[in-house]
Amino acid sequence: MSQDCNDEWELSKENVQPLRQGRVMSTLQEALALQETSIHTAVQLKKQEFESEIRFYSGDDPLDVWDRYIKWTEQTFPQGGKESNLTAILERAVKALHEEQRYYKDPRYLNLWLKFGNCCSEPLDLYSYLHSQEIGTTLALLYITWAEVLEARGSFKKADLIFQEGLQRKAEPLDKLQSHHRQFQIRVSRQTLLGLEETPDEKDTGLLGAAELQRSSLADLKGRGKKKVRAPISRVGDALKATNQNRGFQTLTSQQLSNNPGFAVFDENSASGPEIPVLTPQPWTAPPAPRAKENELNAGPWNSGRRPRSSANSGIEAPCPLPSFTPYVEESAQQQVMTPCKIEPSINHVLSARKPEKEEDPLQRVQNHQQDTQEKKEVVMYRKDKVYAGVEEFSFEEIRAEIYRKKTKKKREEEMQAIAQKKEEILRKIEELEKKLKKKEDDKQQQLHEQLTEITEASPPLGLQGFTFSSATEVGEKQPQLQSESQVSEDTQLHKPSCSEEVIQSLDVCPDTQRGNVFLDSEDEQEEQRDEASLGKKGVCLLPPPDPATSFSIFDESSTLANQNISCSADHIQKSGQRPLAVRKPSDSLTAAENIPPETCDELNGIEPLTEDAIVTGSYKNKTLCANPEDTCDFVRAAHLASTPFHGVVAQRVPAPAFSQNVLKEECPESKSAPLNQETLVCEGAYNEALCINKLSPIMEASLEDTRSSGSSVSSSGSSLSSVTQISTTKYLHIPEKLELAQSLPAEMVTDSGGISENITGDDVTQFLWSAEQRRKLLDLMPKSLTASPGIHLETGALPVMEFEKDVELGGRTYCVKREYCTNEEYKMFFAILPNFPQLDAKGFAIKVYSQPVPWDFYITLQLQERLNTDFDQSFSENYSCYLYQDGCAILHRDVNRFTLGDFIRGCKSITEDVVLLVVYDLLSVVEKLHKAEIVHGDLSPEVFFLGDRICDPFANDERTSALKIVDFSHSLDLRLQSRVSLPNSFPISQTPHGQQLLAKNSLPYQVDLVGIADIVHLMLFGDHVQVYQENTVWKISQNVSKTADSAFWSKLFGRILNADGKSTVPLLRELREEISDMFDSCFQKRLYEFLAALGETFLLENFL
Amino acid sequence: MAKQLGRDQQGITLRGSAEIVAEFFSYGINSILYQRGIYPPETFTRVQKYGLTLLITTDPELKNYLNNVVEQMKEWLYKCIVQRLVVVISSIENNEVLERWQFDIECDKTAKDESAPREKSQKAIQDEIRSVIRQITATVTFLPLLETACAFDLLIYTDKDLAVPEKWEESGPQFIANSEEVRLRSFTTTIHKVNSMVAYKKDSFP
Repeated sequence: MSQDCNDEWELSKENVQPLRQGRVMSTLQEALALQETSIHTAVQLKKQEFESEIRFYSGDDPLDVWDRYIKWTEQTFPQGGKESNLTAILERAVKALHEEQRYYKDPRYLNLWLKFGNCCSEPLDLYSYLHSQEIGTTLALLYITWAEVLEARGSFKKADLIFQEGLQRKAEPLDKLQSHHRQFQIRVSRQTLLGLEETPDEKDTGLLGAAELQRSSLADLKGRGKKKVRAPISRVGDALKATNQNRGFQTLTSQQLSNNPGFAVFDENSASGPEIPVLTPQPWTAPPAPRAKENELNAGPWNSGRRPRSSANSGIEAPCPLPSFTPYVEESAQQQVMTPCKIEPSINHVLSARKPEKEEDPLQRVQNHQQDTQEKKEVVMYRKDKVYAGVEEFSFEEIRAEIYRKKTKKKREEEMQAIAQKKEEILRKIEELEKKLKKKEDDKQQQLHEQLTEITEASPPLGLQGFTFSSATEVGEKQPQLQSESQVSEDTQLHKPSCSEEVIQSLDVCPDTQRGNVFLDSEDEQEEQRDEASLGKKGVCLLPPPDPATSFSIFDESSTLANQNISCSADHIQKSGQRPLAVRKPSDSLTAAENIPPETCDELNGIEPLTEDAIVTGSYKNKTLCANPEDTCDFVRAAHLASTPFHGVVAQRVPAPAFSQNVLKEECPESKSAPLNQETLVCEGAYNEALCINKLSPIMEASLEDTRSSGSSVSSSGSSLSSVTQISTTKYLHIPEKLELAQSLPAEMVTDSGGISENITGDDVTQFLWSAEQRRKLLDLMPKSLTASPGIHLETGALPVMEFEKDVELGGRTYCVKREYCTNEEYKMFFAILPNFPQLDAKGFAIKVYSQPVPWDFYITLQLQERLNTDFDQSFSENYSCYLYQDGCAILHRDVNRFTLGDFIRGCKSITEDVVLLVVYDLLSVVEKLHKAEIVHGDLSPEVFFLGDRICDPFANDERTSALKIVDFSHSLDLRLQSRVSLPNSFPISQTPHGQQLLAKNSLPYQVDLVGIADIVHLMLFGDHVQVYQENTVWKISQNVSKTADSAFWSKLFGRILNADGKSTVPLLRELREEISDMFDSCFQKRLYEFLAALGETFLLENFL
Repeated sequence: MAKQLGRDQQGITLRGSAEIVAEFFSYGINSILYQRGIYPPETFTRVQKYGLTLLITTDPELKNYLNNVVEQMKEWLYKCIVQRLVVVISSIENNEVLERWQFDIECDKTAKDESAPREKSQKAIQDEIRSVIRQITATVTFLPLLETACAFDLLIYTDKDLAVPEKWEESGPQFIANSEEVRLRSFTTTIHKVNSMVAYKKDSFP
């Protein structure tokens, strides 16, 4: 069963060195498989990782890194060899750690040495060196290994001496040493016994050592040599341990081999005889290095002395006798299965004999190194330790990069920590505030309440903002103060019902960083002390004009919070997170306006390549260049027409984040974006930034300079909340193609949404359907009618920042934002009133803000007005205007009630069925009208319906008033324009459980609105979302409608709406609507008034003031 | 033993199968004992088997013991009541289990009622057995060195209702804590299928 995976190790068994501690099969298989493909990237990466870890290790156990490195190397390079570089690593390791006296008793360090010993030509030297250096002398392993090697060479006496030494020094673990010693003794005695039995004349061999053996076997050699010619195997280590006989035989063969001049291998064996007595008995009194040098010198004459003799013998060696055995050939092995070739044939054609090893013993190198360090004279003026720390050489740049990376990482971690702390604090505060609020609301008196609601309601998000600013400025600029700041804020936090003096005090202490907190605290105070509010407002005033990018960067984190307040502001922030882009937009739009014709969006989606035709046949082809000498953008455009090498954009779409960051920094210095912003915001802005930049031709980049600076200065001032129009108009008023400029803006957005849909994978389809580029394309088709309509106002500069409780200027009038409805990334809905204007009723302005300059809502409303004619009534916004900015647009609906149907449902515990009928009636009629106009709303929910005058204004008596008003068309489709769209599952509602069930892939888009209706009705009737099931292919709701008064109608309604598949919706809706109107009897109006009166007391009055 | 059967007829009977498997165990255990150095290598002698040179023990006591076990195995194999044979290698000093060679036996119990021999040439079976034994030999590439003197133990898993014979005793499974397991090849006589596996101590791996 697992034979397949077993094959590899078995086939390569000859290429796998056994390890003392065994191998991990998975690693082994992997390593062997890797070699086959000869792709070592993963291995190389890991190696690199170790190398850099060695250099930049900051813990207190550098040995650990080496230890892991070596173990990993052993496991990963099963065949050892040059590739693994094990010897070099071991050498470096023992060298590097030699200074660390504390490791001398560490078994791991000893292990490194012992492994290193296996690589040395003379491990015995190494052991005595270790002994002399007191490395591992307290560990049993040294003595055991040492004795083993000696035993393998037949020096039993010396081996025993080593054991004795170890026992004497009480080497740990002693029992292990003892047991090894015991076993050693058993082995020796058994072998001696055997020797006695079988070859009495060789009885002493065991004790006398190799020297004796060699002599006798030398004599025998000539006789035996020819009969048994063996392959020249030179075994070292454990294999030699085998048996007395075996050893005798081996020394024999080796002796025989010594006659052959070609085998340098032999030196070792013959050397062990005379050399060992010199080396081992005295425990290395002198420093080892000189001795090593002597050895080196000795080697020379030794070899040369032997040469003549061997050449004399070579004649005997020449005839190669046939082997006495027949190699076994498997019957089944007709076609030979090759062992996987581990050596790349292109490199090594022939097995060539190794050159006689000239390289010095690694041990000597280590010793020399030690001496060198002792008498070091020269001073290294670079970080030699880092460059050469591991086995591989690191370049200075690598080291610097690593240090830099570390630094940034640390910084980021600190930042994150600070942010987390902040977040926690904020959360806590919010919680407390909310708790307080609730408490307050419960027992407050009506009068006081009336004065307060405005402030209290606003306070949590306000406090939030205060925090945002403080933390943002800190993170960006004032790292060191972070700690103290949070400390202080914690303090204030602790004394929660804090008195105002304390707040003021802390303000004095640290006015710079304390702002946010003070602000918040004072907000907190407001409930109790009205005068505190003024302080709070001062806090606002104190705040520096918030740089959009900086002030919001932090908030990206908190966008995940469930808390509604936070999520609102988070959205806010997310939007402004794109600010760096927005800031740069003016310049880009000027230059890129022509470069990115409508096709670009397709190209970004990988559908259609960008063609040069687009430029030639684009909408600008007949335009005079440089109509306005002041307008540099035309000049830039011209330059671009001259050279348009921007085909390879797709290939460049994945710029390295670092690069784009740099770009960002360079390109928009004004935006002063905090580092955090760049890194945590999914680099969205940066990404797009890079995208744009890649597109520019060199010429354009050069000519950009001028326009950019002017353009972005405008926008930055625009974003600072104040007098956008004045400044921007001075710049742009005289541009005749103002309109065209505005139109070209969307082109810029294309790249934006392309980036977004990249980031939000999975939502691609949705993004595509709702994406700005799609709509922009559609709107582009009718620019004249859209821009010519009186409601639209083209504004230069950036979209003003909309903030809760802040004033915002639109079209020369100032509005005070009072409420934020549920929002998403792309758009937001605000409720605003005129400041300093007594609010008499719930009426105000609904401001819909798009983060992109695509006035889709405006367009839809316009279309509705056009297509419905007289039917366009109070259900829709009749008084609206659109402000189109360079990076977004705002649509202002006047005369809108503050409350949505969602508020209504939530606000009243139970809605009388009369009201439900009324609402449903209007709902049906609204949708009917929409569908009649061939517009699908796409996102019907209680939140998108504002309450109409019928409900909100009890005195609006006539029946003409509508109960609902719909102004939000974010997800609407104009089926006249987008007729081929059949993607009901990309609507938001199709993400809900019921939507998923009800909406088939092929259902008509109208279907989506029916599901929305069903859900709203259900919500009103039962207070929860609709749940459906299918019975005999008929969809039914799980709730029992029989409890309701008009159960027959409701069940019919649900039955019809849920099973309207494929049928035309307009007649269906009309039919249902008429059925309701039949149910309105004469007392209906009266009952409605009663209900509304009650409602006004509990719900409306309380909240709108 | 098994040879007679192979020569005489092309087919595998239950008895023949039991003999083949028991014989495999005999050689397999010997190979393990030699390869892992449980007994001194000089107490082994070479024999030709399965087309390989195998080493079997010359130690009379061990030989006797193994013969007993193998005979018992043969009987149980014939009755199809044996499930598993395990060679446990443990340190003499602290009885720690270091290696565990496990041979799972799948008996085709329907063979008990059949009279007709199964179709499988003995050569094919021998080839399979050979590759198993080769793998046992090749395991030195990854098995850890047995540093201390070791003893071995044989565990046989049988069906539950079996009476424990004389000189046998019940035992625990003697698992290795934190072990690395490697599956080896398997072979089948069509009546008995033997899956082999070795488990060894996984210590201080990176």
